[in-house]
Amino acid sequence: MGFDLLNFHRELAKQGIIFCFRGPVSQQVIEGIGQTLRQKMELEDAGMTTVKKVFTIFVEQMQNVVNYSAEKVGEDELSDGELRVGVLVVGREDNRFYVLCGNSVLKEQTERIKNRLDVLREMNEEQLKAFYRERRKMGASLDSKGAGLGFIDMARKAGRPMEYGFAPLDNQHEFFSIKVVI
Amino acid sequence: MERLIIEATKSTPYIFFDPEANLLRIKGESYPENAARFYTPVFLWLEEYLSLQNPNQITVDLELPYLNSSSSKALMNLFEMLEDAVGSGYQVLVNWRYDDEDELSLECGEELQGDAPSLTFDFIPHVK
Repeated sequence: MGFDLLNFHRELAKQGIIFCFRGPVSQQVIEGIGQTLRQKMELEDAGMTTVKKVFTIFVEQMQNVVNYSAEKVGEDELSDGELRVGVLVVGREDNRFYVLCGNSVLKEQTERIKNRLDVLREMNEEQLKAFYRERRKMGASLDSKGAGLGFIDMARKAGRPMEYGFAPLDNQHEFFSIKVVI
Repeated sequence: MERLIIEATKSTPYIFFDPEANLLRIKGESYPENAARFYTPVFLWLEEYLSLQNPNQITVDLELPYLNSSSSKALMNLFEMLEDAVGSGYQVLVNWRYDDEDELSLECGEELQGDAPSLTFDFIPHVK
């Protein structure tokens, strides 16, 4: 066996990782994992607000993968076209939940993502709230499949500024990762 | 005009719009892959309803424990249509139903109220 599954399993547990997913993300995957994630947190007696914050961030991250990941596979009968690939980790460190998500993006998109996230990292709770409401009142931007509100919603549910990074994959792509601590 | 009824799924709410009762009810979690597409028939129905009726009182009964960001945008668009209706003589009452332990749901309703000032909101907590 080339891949040491037992070691992988132990390592995840040691790191406090509750959930780990890598592969094509569909709406059905989001619904299924989302439901299980909430059940698991409720069993651990996490408060209603915490469970909802984690779920919110999970949904926005996974829907970002569905809409924006540059890594695609095959055709999915149930959605418009191909499936997009991403990696997601939900874990707990220092008694706080976190959601970590990564996917491939086109190099030309990185500047825009950086700019958007840097703006949010500088904002406090009140500013994020005002920005969210202002953007919601405006028409959806044309290049946006969602409402362009996802990152702002995530920042509002986060307990501290969201961390992100890019790493080169090949000539055209970079690996984008974002960590949100609740 | 026909009623609009859409059954709930895991990620889309139950829709029940009744033109005779002047009732718009949306109940359930909303996080579809494409909120704009899911809510299009809802907007179209409401547009037609508002064009056919004489101004009257509309009750909007909402129980939305979770809205993703694009559904929240869609709801704002719906409220903008209703605000226009108020401008042409309708009265709109929004019942915002939420779990009394769910502070995020209450906050979500209060923010929508703040951004749709011509609608009357009634916040209705339910206790488990």
